[in-house]
Amino acid sequence: MEGIFHNLGIGFVEVFKLQDIALWGHTLSYVPFNIIMCLIGVFLGTLIGVLPGIGPVATIAMLLPVTFNLSPVAALIMLAGIYYGAQYGGSTTAILVNLPGESSSVVTCLDGYQMARQGRAGPALATAALGSFFAGCVSTLIVAMFAPPLAEVALKFGPAEYFSLMVLGLVSAVVLAHGSLIKAIAMVILGLLLGLVGTDVNSGVLRFAFGISELADGIGFVTVAMGMFGICEIIGNLEQKEHREVFTSKVSHLWPTKEDWRRMVAPILRGTALGSALGILPGGGALLASFGAYTLEKKISKYAHEFGKGAIEGVAAPESANNAGAQTSFIPLLTLGIPSNAVMALMIGAMMIQGIAPGPQVMSERPQLFWGMIASMWVGNLMLVVLNLPLIGMWIKLLTVPYRILYPSILIFMAVGVFSISNQPFDCFLMSLFGLLGYICVKLGCEPAPLILGFILGPLMEENLRRAMLLSRGDAFVFISPSKPISMGFLIASAILLAIITLPALRAKREEAFAAEEQG
Amino acid sequence: MKRFLLLVALAAAAGACAAQSWPSRPLRLVAPYAAGGPIDISARLLAAKLQEGLGQAVVVENRPGAGGNIGVDLIAKGPADGYSLVMSAIATLAINPSLYPSLPYDPLKDLRHVTLLVQVPNVLVVRKDLPARNVQELVALAKARPGKLDFGSGSTGSTGHLAGEMFKMMTGTFMVHIPYKGSAPALADMMAGRIDLMFDNLASALPSIRSDKVRALATTTLKRSNFLPELPTLDEAGLKGFDMTTWWGVSVAAKTPQPIVERLSTEILKAMDAPDFREKLRGMGSEPPAIRTPDQFAAFVAAELKTYTALVKRSGAKAD
Repeated sequence: MEGIFHNLGIGFVEVFKLQDIALWGHTLSYVPFNIIMCLIGVFLGTLIGVLPGIGPVATIAMLLPVTFNLSPVAALIMLAGIYYGAQYGGSTTAILVNLPGESSSVVTCLDGYQMARQGRAGPALATAALGSFFAGCVSTLIVAMFAPPLAEVALKFGPAEYFSLMVLGLVSAVVLAHGSLIKAIAMVILGLLLGLVGTDVNSGVLRFAFGISELADGIGFVTVAMGMFGICEIIGNLEQKEHREVFTSKVSHLWPTKEDWRRMVAPILRGTALGSALGILPGGGALLASFGAYTLEKKISKYAHEFGKGAIEGVAAPESANNAGAQTSFIPLLTLGIPSNAVMALMIGAMMIQGIAPGPQVMSERPQLFWGMIASMWVGNLMLVVLNLPLIGMWIKLLTVPYRILYPSILIFMAVGVFSISNQPFDCFLMSLFGLLGYICVKLGCEPAPLILGFILGPLMEENLRRAMLLSRGDAFVFISPSKPISMGFLIASAILLAIITLPALRAKREEAFAAEEQG
Repeated sequence: MKRFLLLVALAAAAGACAAQSWPSRPLRLVAPYAAGGPIDISARLLAAKLQEGLGQAVVVENRPGAGGNIGVDLIAKGPADGYSLVMSAIATLAINPSLYPSLPYDPLKDLRHVTLLVQVPNVLVVRKDLPARNVQELVALAKARPGKLDFGSGSTGSTGHLAGEMFKMMTGTFMVHIPYKGSAPALADMMAGRIDLMFDNLASALPSIRSDKVRALATTTLKRSNFLPELPTLDEAGLKGFDMTTWWGVSVAAKTPQPIVERLSTEILKAMDAPDFREKLRGMGSEPPAIRTPDQFAAFVAAELKTYTALVKRSGAKAD
């Protein structure tokens, strides 16, 4: 414990260090440069998080050449700031206009947007910011205290364990939906099929690409999410001619009420715990965190019936989870030198070009860098909450913009965002197509969330299934063998969850049948 | 005949004029992969340097898709005016032609190769508890346990995969290929002891080698790497002539006027010789390539294309 305080001391000294900076030929003395870079990072992160489509990966890639002239500490502090800043910003558009900018904010749409429709956008945004702040602080502490042992846990996850985890994730996707069970399953399967488009990992063969070379690398997540949520919502809104909802007429308060506070505490705590745990896993862990947290809350909450209709728990839990996951996903990078996602891979690139080999030796060889970066995450999270809470008022004002002006602007932002990912006009067409599909689904009473989860998990699941089978030379029992207790545990949990979901449905069906018989 | 000659002369003069005023507007440098990979990063580094030398903005444009083919095709079929450049690589020039049967461009006829920018060696790494301390012991182990060893790679048809196939071919051994999505998860599985060996590019494997999480047995180049001078090459270890690197460079459309190609080549080489730029490329595991002129680069591409066409055929990898 004492060691931790000593190390964090080193870190905070590094973050608040006053330096002499050469700027446009002048030398400025006593500038808290690292803290300024942290502020720039989180500000940029918030901005790109709010803008749909433009993600942290592209931003960091574009800024990399700029960072080469900075000290390694300042560069990494800024890049990390962009990453977790984007997690904060991503929830804003999800709540205000049903537009998930990042994969992790898909679930925030479900209840966040419903809260906004009820005139409670303010409390939703505040909950997201506060939940993220709390989760960021706690998980940073976890990174500081337990990084090395947790990295060992991450290594325990091989193809078999990932596959079983994904199975559990898919089963819980069905829980996400609040309508018909059959429709939810249908949407999951449709999502799985869409996820298969592109090049097969094992053989390199193209699947479902219909000779269109733009489809060779699969369909982009942002394209699907923006179409199914954003465009679909706009079509739905325009359909209701004059009766279009005016959110702001119902705005009662900007801040969470006492009741809101009471209800958000436990979900934030659970979301943080789940997010921190799943964030450690490279390969989709952090992504599962927000979905997992939402599902968990929906299963155990007293207010389960309110989910999907604007439950504050449905915002608090996933937002805390995705921010916690964002922080703990630094663990494999810092301790093993293994990137857990594209952003982390870029951070490795940034470190190597600065002449630092990432890995466990960073902690002992360059304590200022390691602990400085960790300390900066705290400072950055604090900055984010200070930056975001006053902005809420401004965001709410945005909703007073007449819809005839608002919706074309949203469409333009979405088109620009989707186009910017790979500079392909094709992606914009595809997004429109998914908008149409989303609209049809809504009309049929099918929800898009299970489809999105199937779309994300499908390819990961297939990849790990086939890898595990290759490694076991075709022995399917590898998933439930006693030598793989983690995998077995996930599969048992999936089976139990499946039973919990299906049994009441079956019972209801039978009761219906009996009732029909009696009447007949 | 006279008229024809006149036309030729006029065309040549126009070309020279264009070349003289070139560049009069911003250039674009297409990176045919998503933002953030090593090729994209080096494109951005190069763009910043070229900007100084050419006095015009150089804009990096990401055009990912179909293993890089879409971006390369864009330049191969685009105007040959020297304003459109592409980061071409071993994948798009030497491997994909045999991996994708309907490649829309010809890597030798549709493109003029300007400069080889980066050459990164691959290293043969094994899991720490594998009972093989050197290449000979590994070969013996693979022969004693045919089909039991697993070798990972960043993807099907990657240099890591093909180096593994080359290794199998030269040693007469059989090992099972386990493809991953990128080499990071493969390295993680090796640290956890799930796969036995892999051929990874030096830049991504170096941190794990230095922190002693995996063991390096050899490099895949003819010359030893300056990063790991104590590490033998596969050639020294008995696999005579084993020479595989991951490389990428800059290409333009085939009909680009020669003066522009030469000017571009000069400017890129100037950037590469600048100590700060060289230092950053070294950070990515690259040594300055010995190949420097456009003609040498073109000959190199042709030779690599031949090697990898044979290897891909042998490995059975295919993208329809």
